[in-house]
Amino acid sequence: MSAITPAASTPGPEAASPATASQDANASASSIDRQILEYLRARGHKAAEQALLESLEQGGTPDENKAGPSSTISTDDLVKKLAIITQKSTKPGDSSLKDASTVLSEMVAIGNSVNIQNLVSSIGNVGAEDILSLDPGDKQEGYRELEAWVEGSLDMYRPEFRPILFPIFVHFYLDLIQHGFKDAALKFFADYSASLAPAHSATLHHLSTLHLPTHVQNDELAQRFRNEKYTIRMSRSGFSLLIGWLNEGIGGESLGSGVGFAGEKGKRGRGAIMRVVNNHLKFDVTSAPGTSVSAESWEESSGLLSSLIPQTAGSTTYDPMAFNAAKGQLKLGPAPVPEDLQHETERVVREQSMVDRDPGAQTVDVKREVEKIRDARKRIRLDPSALSTANLSAAHGAAARSRAIPSICAYTLHDVGEGAPCVTFSQDTSLMAAGFSESYVRLWSLKGEKLKGLRSDFQTSSITGAKSLRKIREKGGSTTRKLIGHSGPVYSVAFDPVGGSAVPPKYLLSCSADATTRLWSLDTMTNVAVYRGHQNPVWDVQWSPMGVYFATASRDRTARLWSTDRASALRIYAGHLSDVDCVRFHPNSLYLATGSSDWTARLWDVQRGSCVRVFIGHQNIVSTMAFSPDGKYLATAGEDLAINIWDIGSGRRVKKMTGHTASIYSLAWSAESSVLVSGGADWTVRCWDAKSSGGPASKSNQNGMIVNGYGGEENGITKEHDELPSIETSDLLATFPTKRTPIVNVQFTPRNLCLVAGPYLSPEQR
Amino acid sequence: MSKQKARATNAQLTGLYKPEAVKDVAESLNITGLSDAIASALASDVEYRIHQVVEEAGRFMRHARRTTITTSDIDQALRVLNIEPLYGHFPHNPPTFRRAPPFPQAPSVGTVYFVEDEEIDFDRVIREEKITMPKGVNWTAHWLAVEGVQPLIPENPPAIPRDIEGEPSGIKREPSTARPGGLFPPTPPSSDRPSPMQGAKKQQQPLVKQVLSRELQLYYTRLTSSLLPPSSDDTKRNAALASLRNDAGLQALLPYLVRWVGEGVVNALKGGVQTDNDGRVLGVLLDVIGAILDNPTLFVEPYLHQLLPPILSTLLHSTLPPTYATYLRTTASQILSRVLRQHSTTYPSLSPRIMKTLLLALISPGKSKGTREGAIRGLMGVGKEAVRKGLVEGGGAKVVGSECMPGEQSPVVDSVIAALKVLHPPSSHPLPLNTYADTDQPLITQLQETLGEFFAEQLLFDRDWAAGILSGSSEPS
Repeated sequence: MSAITPAASTPGPEAASPATASQDANASASSIDRQILEYLRARGHKAAEQALLESLEQGGTPDENKAGPSSTISTDDLVKKLAIITQKSTKPGDSSLKDASTVLSEMVAIGNSVNIQNLVSSIGNVGAEDILSLDPGDKQEGYRELEAWVEGSLDMYRPEFRPILFPIFVHFYLDLIQHGFKDAALKFFADYSASLAPAHSATLHHLSTLHLPTHVQNDELAQRFRNEKYTIRMSRSGFSLLIGWLNEGIGGESLGSGVGFAGEKGKRGRGAIMRVVNNHLKFDVTSAPGTSVSAESWEESSGLLSSLIPQTAGSTTYDPMAFNAAKGQLKLGPAPVPEDLQHETERVVREQSMVDRDPGAQTVDVKREVEKIRDARKRIRLDPSALSTANLSAAHGAAARSRAIPSICAYTLHDVGEGAPCVTFSQDTSLMAAGFSESYVRLWSLKGEKLKGLRSDFQTSSITGAKSLRKIREKGGSTTRKLIGHSGPVYSVAFDPVGGSAVPPKYLLSCSADATTRLWSLDTMTNVAVYRGHQNPVWDVQWSPMGVYFATASRDRTARLWSTDRASALRIYAGHLSDVDCVRFHPNSLYLATGSSDWTARLWDVQRGSCVRVFIGHQNIVSTMAFSPDGKYLATAGEDLAINIWDIGSGRRVKKMTGHTASIYSLAWSAESSVLVSGGADWTVRCWDAKSSGGPASKSNQNGMIVNGYGGEENGITKEHDELPSIETSDLLATFPTKRTPIVNVQFTPRNLCLVAGPYLSPEQR
Repeated sequence: MSKQKARATNAQLTGLYKPEAVKDVAESLNITGLSDAIASALASDVEYRIHQVVEEAGRFMRHARRTTITTSDIDQALRVLNIEPLYGHFPHNPPTFRRAPPFPQAPSVGTVYFVEDEEIDFDRVIREEKITMPKGVNWTAHWLAVEGVQPLIPENPPAIPRDIEGEPSGIKREPSTARPGGLFPPTPPSSDRPSPMQGAKKQQQPLVKQVLSRELQLYYTRLTSSLLPPSSDDTKRNAALASLRNDAGLQALLPYLVRWVGEGVVNALKGGVQTDNDGRVLGVLLDVIGAILDNPTLFVEPYLHQLLPPILSTLLHSTLPPTYATYLRTTASQILSRVLRQHSTTYPSLSPRIMKTLLLALISPGKSKGTREGAIRGLMGVGKEAVRKGLVEGGGAKVVGSECMPGEQSPVVDSVIAALKVLHPPSSHPLPLNTYADTDQPLITQLQETLGEFFAEQLLFDRDWAAGILSGSSEPS
């Protein structure tokens, strides 16, 4: 027994150490030692490595200890020993021999074929049990009992216990597939996936495509389940109830259901669950009482977290909060304005307020800052809190409504061929750009001015001033321009923000499926630079708030920082486990947020390239996000149709807002960070109160809580709602449907007018 | 996307890609005797690979901001997976899949789908040359919300009345009842893809509901209510008329509008005593008819036989409210003339029918003066020839004249004079006919014969005019 202790204490993935331990009888000890050491080092298990090194130095390797006696002891002893090992394996915290087949193969490897018959017969109930554990029926039975137990548990524990169902389901399914029981696996999936479907549809769908053992070995998600620990947060009392049930088969379940799990079969089913719990689950036991766990908190604290959270210096964190806390404070304040620029701005504002004269010759910076101050003065103030207080009289309510909800102007694109993946407006709303699936970008002047580029046939020597520049502008022209250069669908376009709302932008960035990002000059209306580096389609591009730098997000799982004057990337932000779908700059340019298909969003330090926050909670791909203008909050939207608001400083989720019925494509904050507007594939624009507490809509609120006496009458009223649960949370201020326009872009002008854009889908189109 | 998901989970137990299909492919490659185990393993693997590609394609679909996977998404997915894309499929012209009729010999095959391969006749294609360039992308802007309220303009979908319980779920036309938890997206709310249940419900309702979209129904009620009194808002009415005159897409509404106008006219004319209110209503209804005719996007011809009765009733009704009578009849005749101008070429029997009605009203005995006046104005609307035919050749003027007191000044008389002016303009320097001069005697006699005593009297003062009228009648072209 002592032989396997050091290996067993390693927190590494299951079966690795026993597997190596079983091989060692035939192999030379030293080479295996080296392999184990390398393995441990690669996995970052320093303590285990240390222990092994020490034991090696003591002269006898632990493997030799094991190999030594095995050649001399009698078969009876061996059986006893193995029995201990196999029994031990069901205890928590211990790694197990994987199944009976390894036991048998090990014994065959030992040699002494004469005794094998005796061995197998004398193993008796221990070995037989393990062989039987391969029986697919056990898993069915075990999962059924577990589900019954979870559903029958007290209301206060149920939200805690529910998350455990999913990983056990997944592992059972993968086990069945891996052992070649395809039909049993499919039946298992068909029987039990329905109850998990609402919360885990994407993963379930992916798993349902796995049919062969090789699929499990090659599939990324399956391997993540196999090799990583699935973290579940549980209260102390809940955890002890679970352990009690796993060991005894009783405790915690509802009355009258305690008998069903007592038999031999039930024991084996429980054993199967126990194996998964031991090998693949990690319990994050909190001291908080179970009642404080809300129904949605599992999203943040359970899952295959260890790989989602960036690992620092060999220590494995399972708690995103701990990671976020370890990263320390962030500088979230506004970017400092250079003093002389501030003085100049103040001077100009003062002068212009006295005489309304022509701005004259000023630098772009001053113009932008001046315009910013003007915008702030003329801004429509949106204050949704007024809505909740003054809803009493209709007239008053309407007034409050007008103060709370922005005016929205919708720009609809017609006759779009294969689709317009992106539309954007310049900050001064003089230009609109749209990228198309047909690989081109189109510009429109919203003011009806003609877009004229520069002619290409001129002598540089003839340019002497603004007048001669005007002379070489193209004649004629129209209010729209087509920019051709990409060779794949254009997924994102962005106007440069240098001029702010004072001056029309000079540059446009676009990124495409052809893995390039292109810079277009709006003076010449031509492509001036191509940035290559990504190996895969570039999903998103975004200017830094001060221009010059920009960031891209790509399918190659990285985000990159670029400078317009360099052809290669300045920084590569790597760490996401799947596509990086969107990228946004913090308003003060110090941080970069990325949203990914691994269901997380991360915050990166732009300078150092390190990850400083991780936001875990979405249950599907993070499709878009937006920083609040005050720099304190990040709103993310995912394919799980939820919008999450995160407090960047602490990394905690402030709230989750639901209501959309299809993918959310775009998010935007109002200038005072009070209203969030979202648009999506359900052809609606929705306004959300970012500051209110949110939570489920008040009517459906009572459904789950009929504990109190007064809940009775409300329950009578809300009966009808039970059939039709509203997914809208109470902070949804308003919903504005369009006719058939998916809203691709939502944007606020500096004066708080909301612009939305999307392509109209004619009904004939499928 | 979600649709595919649902389908995948439904077909879970059997697998989408059948081992039989693998065997078929193997046989086509001259590999016979493939064992069942291999076939099913291969089928599972193929299915897994297909799912891999579809999952990858789903990303491209999502980033292209679409909700349906197109062939271009598949191509992109294959490209990033380092597989050669399938050439020859275009997203803007997706192939249509047809279901083959069931195959009775081998029921185990199940449903067979195939891609429809349309035969193209080159001769026809070359002859017709119907290659149209797609219109370029363009944009429109409208207010989706103004200070938190969605304006009711055609660009916005009509406001949907809130549920009885006052549930704030404003836009969900088809609540996601089928899905557990309601967390999952139905494909965008679409009225063009009704579920079978909805379809069944629709069939029970009268045909009307199926044809008229909800927006149009709402438009119709708004339109009709804003046009007629009690809504006395002139700007509103003008806006409604302008919308009717210029907006496209009202074709489906046309039969209802026509019927509404017809009923409105009948109602207004039904009561014996005509009030000013009725006059106003009639005026508006005539305006509506005019607007319908003005609208270039409406195809009115099939409804002409329904439109004419209201026009003619208004025109020929005996007792129109006195203050409005002339205005109404003039308007009606103008509309009539427009109808004829626009449609008489494509609808040859139209003008004879109208002529017949008008002549009958003008000549047949026992009609009131109002009817006669209307008929004359109608004839004026139809044209010069019609006036001649009615007044001069048909003896309309004689009939009217005989019913008039000598020296009477009434709208009828005015209308006849106006009609005669249409027939031949009076000379600028009238030279009176000399009743006693021999040269003029035959002319006067002729005048009295054709127009009757009363109007002959009226024309005596202008020789040229009278001669013109008569000469036209004597030698009709």
